Amino acid sequence: MLKLFDHEHLDLDNLSDDLTAIRVEDLSLQFGNKHVLENISMRIPKHRVTALIGQSGCGKSTLISSFNRMNDLNPQCRYQGQIYIGDRDINNKKQNVSELRTQVGMVFQRPNPFPMSIYENVCYGLKLQGIKVRRQLDDAVERALKDAALWKEVKDRLFESASVLSGGQQQRLVIARALALKPDILLLDEPTSALDPLTTLFIEELIAELKHRCTIIIVTHNMQQAARVSDYTAFLHQGRLIEYSDSDTLFTTPEQKQTEDYITGRYG
Amino acid sequence: MRQIAFNTHISGKFNTELEDLRNSVLTMGGEVEQQLIDTLKAIRLNHSGLAEKVALNDLRINSMEIQIDKECMRIIAKRHPTASDLRLVMIISKAITDIERMGDEIERMARLVTKQKIPNSESVKSSMLSIGEKVVAMMRGTFDAFARQDDNSALEVYDQDNRIDSEYKRLLAYIVKEMESSNESMQDWLEILWALRSLERVGDRCKNICEYVVTLTRGEDIRHTPLENLSQTLENLE
Repeated sequence: MLKLFDHEHLDLDNLSDDLTAIRVEDLSLQFGNKHVLENISMRIPKHRVTALIGQSGCGKSTLISSFNRMNDLNPQCRYQGQIYIGDRDINNKKQNVSELRTQVGMVFQRPNPFPMSIYENVCYGLKLQGIKVRRQLDDAVERALKDAALWKEVKDRLFESASVLSGGQQQRLVIARALALKPDILLLDEPTSALDPLTTLFIEELIAELKHRCTIIIVTHNMQQAARVSDYTAFLHQGRLIEYSDSDTLFTTPEQKQTEDYITGRYG
Repeated sequence: MRQIAFNTHISGKFNTELEDLRNSVLTMGGEVEQQLIDTLKAIRLNHSGLAEKVALNDLRINSMEIQIDKECMRIIAKRHPTASDLRLVMIISKAITDIERMGDEIERMARLVTKQKIPNSESVKSSMLSIGEKVVAMMRGTFDAFARQDDNSALEVYDQDNRIDSEYKRLLAYIVKEMESSNESMQDWLEILWALRSLERVGDRCKNICEYVVTLTRGEDIRHTPLENLSQTLENLE
């Protein structure tokens, strides 16, 4: 029979290692006595956009923060289980966390440019890595700003303060700052919740472009956004992974009643 | 003519999805049009092999309907289309039902050949083929109007259906006379009448799709509007 549409639906339960960006195995996490994540196992595919959805407090931000060990900043954090990037368990105490955060970039809800010029913002991480050659920095800044679809708007004012940029531009600047380090994985925690609807669509389009360069994981409260931007979606409830599948299936014919109730607004 | 640009969304992927969806309807329409051309040829040449092929090919058309419907549902769930985008998805979902039914009607006509029930009367056969050619032209006009979002052409095609209906009624009256003097069994004549009815229904389905084109371009639902009120309704929209 003639196939009219071609939508990729990877088998996430049997994803091969070469297609896997992150492999989570039996991850449980608690802050003090509060269990936030319980026995999460999943494979996140490379060069795809994966969305984490669920109501507030379900553990989605904690899960995404586990992928670059941001939870370590909370002294009460305890975790069990493994998170593999390649064949390396990043939960291993010997893991170099700075190196990990270079490989796994993160963008937060509110744009947080540093109080310095646009240029300095983008090359901040590179300078920390010890790169000082001006030509190298110039090239990296241009490339990152182009990748973040911001170059045309700022190329003539690179040395102006980043604070003069609009909210949407600041968020793209922060994305450029992360991209300058050429991350394999980019974590986006509610990246558009502080932006207007049109700017949000531009950022979403940027996300669709960026997945060709790196794996993207996005946390969003906005289910419509998850449906629009993601290739795969994981629904979490009370720290458990309830359903994880391609977004086409999850948003049209979810398997679990809890998922159906959540995405149809019947959640009580 | 009111053209809606479906390729100007911020999301390039959404543009592609809508374009693919529109193209899929034209692919399905093209298949059904070819089915009718083949059926008419099979009737003309009494070619049962070709008619068999038409009957088998209907499965392809059924599969296309399911795929396109699923894609419409996927786009609604994932893209939350609004305004002209929503109208496009909704009318496509309806149009493919009409196209699939056209396929069924054509398959019924093709069975006339496989069952060896082609009319013996040359004048009945040639009138049937003549209506068939007009329906093919109407289908072509319908899918062109859909592709170009040309509501004026859609309304012209809409009008062609009335001429096909008149020709169909004349042929029916002629057949009734023929039946009285013919040696063919009543069962054979009924098969021919059903096939003719199917042909006429294909024209009606084209008319439905033309109505959807107007809904898409003008945002007005002209179904069930009497023909005499139609031009006034459309003028009010100008």
